[in-house]
Amino acid sequence: MKRAKFIIFIIFSSLLLTGCAGKREINDLALVMAVGIDKGSKDGMVKVTAQVSRPGDARGQTGAPIGQSGETSWNVEAEGETIFEAIRNLTGISSRRVFWAHNFIIVINEEVAKEGIGDIIDFFTRNPELRMRTLVALTPDKASEITSTITSLEVVPGEALSKLFRYTNISTLAPHTEIKDLLAAYLSESTEPILARLTLEERKIDSLKPEKGAKVNQVGLSGAGVFKNDKLVGILQADELQGIILFRDKIDSGVVVIDCPKEPKNEISVELNKQKFDVEPTYKNDKVSFNAKLDATVTVVEAGCPFSISDKEAVKQLEKSVEAKLNDDINKSIEKIQKEYQSDVLELGKIFQNKYPYEWKKMKKDWADTFANAEINLSIQANVESGSLLFQPTISGKEREGE
Amino acid sequence: METTSKDKRFTAELEKNIAIIRRELGDSIDLVKRNIFFLGNRQVSSVLFYIDGLASVEHVEKVIDAMMFEGNEFIKRNQLLISDLQTLIEQHVLMNTSFSMIEEVEKALIAILSGDSILFVDGCQKAFHIQTKGWDTRSVDEPQTEQVVRGSRDGFTENIRTNTALVRRRIRDPELRLETMSIGLRTRTDVNIAYINGIVKKGLVDEVKKRLNRIQIDGILESGYIEEMIADSPFSPFTTIMSTERPDKVASALLEGRVAIFVDNTPFVLVVPTYFWQFLQASDDYYMGFMAGSFFRIIRYIAFIISLTLTSIYVMLVSFHQEMIPTPLALTIASGREIVPFPVLLEALLMEITFELMREAGLRMPKPVGQAVSIVGSLVIGQAAVQAGIVSPFMVIVVAVTGISSFAIPNYSASYSIRLIRFPLLIASGTLGLLGFSVMFTLLAIHALSIRSFGESYLAPATPFQPNDQKDTLIRFPWWGMKKRPQLADGDTIKLGSHQKPKPPNKVKDPIEKNKDNQSESGGEENQKEEDKSNMESRDNSDITGLRRWKKKTGDNKGAKRKE
Amino acid sequence: MKVQISNGMLMALIINMLYAKSIGMTQGIMAREVKGDIWISTFFSTFQGVLLIALIVIVMKRIPEGDLIDQFHRILGKFPGKLVAISVFVFFVGAYGNIMATFVYHLKDYFLPEAPTLLFVLAAFLIGIYAIHFGIEVVARMALIGVFSIIALNILLMLGSLSNFDIRELQPVFQSGFKETVWASRHHNTDYAMAAMMVCMILPLVRDKETWIKSSTAGIFYGGIIIVMWPILETGVLTADVAAQYIVSCMQMARSAEIGLFIHRYEMIMIAFFALSILTQIIMAFLCSSIAVQKLLGLKDYRPVIIPVGLILSGSCYWLVKDHHRAMHFIEGPWVYLSIGTVVGLIGILWISGLVFRKKWKANYEVKQ
Repeated sequence: MKRAKFIIFIIFSSLLLTGCAGKREINDLALVMAVGIDKGSKDGMVKVTAQVSRPGDARGQTGAPIGQSGETSWNVEAEGETIFEAIRNLTGISSRRVFWAHNFIIVINEEVAKEGIGDIIDFFTRNPELRMRTLVALTPDKASEITSTITSLEVVPGEALSKLFRYTNISTLAPHTEIKDLLAAYLSESTEPILARLTLEERKIDSLKPEKGAKVNQVGLSGAGVFKNDKLVGILQADELQGIILFRDKIDSGVVVIDCPKEPKNEISVELNKQKFDVEPTYKNDKVSFNAKLDATVTVVEAGCPFSISDKEAVKQLEKSVEAKLNDDINKSIEKIQKEYQSDVLELGKIFQNKYPYEWKKMKKDWADTFANAEINLSIQANVESGSLLFQPTISGKEREGE
Repeated sequence: METTSKDKRFTAELEKNIAIIRRELGDSIDLVKRNIFFLGNRQVSSVLFYIDGLASVEHVEKVIDAMMFEGNEFIKRNQLLISDLQTLIEQHVLMNTSFSMIEEVEKALIAILSGDSILFVDGCQKAFHIQTKGWDTRSVDEPQTEQVVRGSRDGFTENIRTNTALVRRRIRDPELRLETMSIGLRTRTDVNIAYINGIVKKGLVDEVKKRLNRIQIDGILESGYIEEMIADSPFSPFTTIMSTERPDKVASALLEGRVAIFVDNTPFVLVVPTYFWQFLQASDDYYMGFMAGSFFRIIRYIAFIISLTLTSIYVMLVSFHQEMIPTPLALTIASGREIVPFPVLLEALLMEITFELMREAGLRMPKPVGQAVSIVGSLVIGQAAVQAGIVSPFMVIVVAVTGISSFAIPNYSASYSIRLIRFPLLIASGTLGLLGFSVMFTLLAIHALSIRSFGESYLAPATPFQPNDQKDTLIRFPWWGMKKRPQLADGDTIKLGSHQKPKPPNKVKDPIEKNKDNQSESGGEENQKEEDKSNMESRDNSDITGLRRWKKKTGDNKGAKRKE
Repeated sequence: MKVQISNGMLMALIINMLYAKSIGMTQGIMAREVKGDIWISTFFSTFQGVLLIALIVIVMKRIPEGDLIDQFHRILGKFPGKLVAISVFVFFVGAYGNIMATFVYHLKDYFLPEAPTLLFVLAAFLIGIYAIHFGIEVVARMALIGVFSIIALNILLMLGSLSNFDIRELQPVFQSGFKETVWASRHHNTDYAMAAMMVCMILPLVRDKETWIKSSTAGIFYGGIIIVMWPILETGVLTADVAAQYIVSCMQMARSAEIGLFIHRYEMIMIAFFALSILTQIIMAFLCSSIAVQKLLGLKDYRPVIIPVGLILSGSCYWLVKDHHRAMHFIEGPWVYLSIGTVVGLIGILWISGLVFRKKWKANYEVKQ
């Protein structure tokens, strides 16, 4: 027994020889908040921009005084033949070990996307440090600029970018795309990936020189990019997206602007509060078609002309105009996707497969073509249920009839 | 000790007895020898031995008074023979409350050294051993280490008899037994074992006595000595014996079927067997309402977990698994650590040791200064250290919360053991990250699962799972809900009558209706009254067997009464 | 060893033995074969597992005080008994490789990528030998805590993933075909085989043999229910294609769970719960292989052989686990046939030879009684 204990003791103390494997102090880490991928200076090279946050500046002084330079983030770029190599080159200029676990967003330049993002998908999903919920976005501008611009109210730009996506279910200006969705769409037999799009827009007014107007760049959501396999094939603008997002996610709020029923010169804005959306596939005579049904609850939020929900006729007309407008818009976007891009980002293939699994097996291979020729019928039902707070139309007392 | 053999006895010759005593006890200045002439008669001399300081002056004076004067009257009246001297003195002269006759020298020595007096009378074979104990002792005061908001405030003192009396006052059951032992070759400390016959598991008391008899040590100065000598797992960091300063805790333990060990000269009484969860229970839980009690008990469990693991988790997260920390928090921690030159593990160890130092210093300092050191010390030193850049502010918070949580554990010795366990856990998680933490935690869990406390598994009633005992572990059921004693009791396990849940009384009826009911239900109401009477009678505490009678009657009250 | 464990503890032990590998690696393997139908395969497997356990308990009830090796010993003789002991030992060596693959890949790949594999093997070795030193009762109690932590883990995961759950991913059912789905269940059957072999070895230690059948089948059944939640969630949240990409799909699942905006990536809390279950598995593997070696060598108690057995197990699993490819190849290929074959084969032989040699062993048995 004594010998056994001795052996165990030796083995146990061998654990002490490991020397804290894998230990990294949090101050030895460069926490990357956002990463941008651009084309490199030479052909075939990629340029990786990493935005590293400086904790002392990002969070203010907690504790002993540190040297603060006022910059909340440190942005560096490096080039390489592949992403991994570029990142390795990055460590050459970084005094701390680059740490990807807190990365919020990956921004990809459209030029790079046109050549295929398969390697990007593979890198970011194989790496254990990265989260599956990292946001991915495209941009027509330089990704390095997007990640470095201080946007909105946040201190750290990467955080700001990720927070922009927090309310996509209300603003519907861009879809909420994560690496998880990207990978799932890429691996799927039918669905194609779609990525949100960010652009630089001159929106901010410098508070020190307000007379110059809005001259400072800010990053904003603007539409989406449509892919086929892993190559970018087309862009959808922000206003074309409303219908598309319906197919993929739940939207909590949407805005439609229509002309006033009685005074076409003025406009009414309505908000779609609850939207119930269903797609049913049908397969008749070798023809694939989809019936999409949208049930929207409408609230009138802004009336440029006198409008009251007690006016039944006006309400009916309003509903009809909303339905027509939605129909138009959504059909336009769907056509664009079907005819121009021929890429099934609407997940219709999956819906078809769910209902007709046997037929699906035959149609799998040519789904892209079938999708392009499929018939998509929309039927929209809008119900005006409230006019926000007001019950009476907003008319000036002097012009009111009957006085 | 090779002094007297147990067979040495006293003789009837006074001088020889005196010589024996002188030889055994030597010439200590506090050994007092008082010569008394019985009844003033120069022919009968007697000598009284006692130790100054241990014997109470009043009692000794009473003896002397009796021997010199009081007996005189009686003898004058009754003219008894001298040969009956021993019986005479024994039955008619001495006025002390208790004394006995002894012959063995060994017993006499122990008696003198315990504060009693020995009276030798010339011509008597046996010596008188008179109970004269009385020395300065601390008065019954609030226990220092276990304070409660609600509950009795008397705590044990150093006098063993006072201690047992405090418990006896609470349990007036004739089945409460007290057995005595004397442990320690030179100190001969009195050790009393208390238990309630009929509730205690068979064999438990014998086991306790066996272990106590096994102890061979020269001195027992505190119950801690005994605790270490009879522990089930001597190397375990977990304490398997509970020590307490509160009589109500001991009384409730006895009612649950445990055994209490009283040790002279210490206010800490040992209670065996122990469950680990007992250390997290305070007397307050039982006296406050069950909801408040359960709530605070859960808070204490959380405090226990925090004090054990918080520092280790913090070190592990910051050193190895930074991806687990939510990003804003990670940035805050990182910004606090910018200046600090040490790695987190070292910082944590430093802060922990400093905290322990401050706590220890606060204990040792004289009272007025001690308070200042602990409060001001921790705040100021913590803040100053942060400003100097030695530690990060986050670390100070973590260590402070851990320290405060460890003080929330009611039992003092348990919080020590938990603090001890914390260090290996900290080092393991600081060197090996998640693997180290989980391995060390599992090793501790396996160890805790394997130890027993006097036959009971240490972690019962959680594992092995005893559903009945769950009523008092995590939360406390109300008193009307706990019907049985815990599983470690045997024999008489039902401690609650039936239908104990309080209810509001029946609706008061309208007087008119009451009359109507009276006429139709006269039989029923009479029975009702009788039932109430029987209920009250059976709970009459002056009836000794009423204790058992109400238990039998809970089922058949009505039937029994109607017949009578 | 007159130690006895209760039926509840047996159930807990079974659930623990099943859990760790089934939710991650098995689901990944099955997803590579049948995509979205892994939950159906899991159900089939559970069903087969229940049948297997029922058969085992019925067969072993003939001689209640003997475990599998003892029964062979009694019915067929000493030499077959020793052969069986060797095959049981080989089985557990393979099983241990499985368990360690799960353990190492879970912890090392996701949490401590730079730590040497040897570290994990050593840590498991230490815990194994320390725990079985005390006997099965301690392990059984740990298993009870393990069951609670498993349930907590399941609840935590559901809280974090249900918002992203899309039931359309689960459709259509049987998209890969009925035959393939059933055939894919063989991977999950290996887990049930592991639990079954453990039951074979410790059944005599469970008291109250009237409820043996009920508790063991209940254990498998509940284990199956708890496990099946994972493939359903993995398919619904991650999609089957993504789950198929990874070696350890359950970790990907855990990493995608987030509650609210602040608590994301709480996979570490989940790992803490998961660690108890897998450590119980490791300890039980140690125990059963020690008992097998004890019976092989004819010793009275298994305690003297703990260290050599532990060294053999650790050494072999280290060689296996070091190379990801080797480990996955073993688990997906030879192990399936080895494990299911061993269990079904041994039990079948026992049953049949019990029937054939009934007179012989019954006479012996009554004499011994």
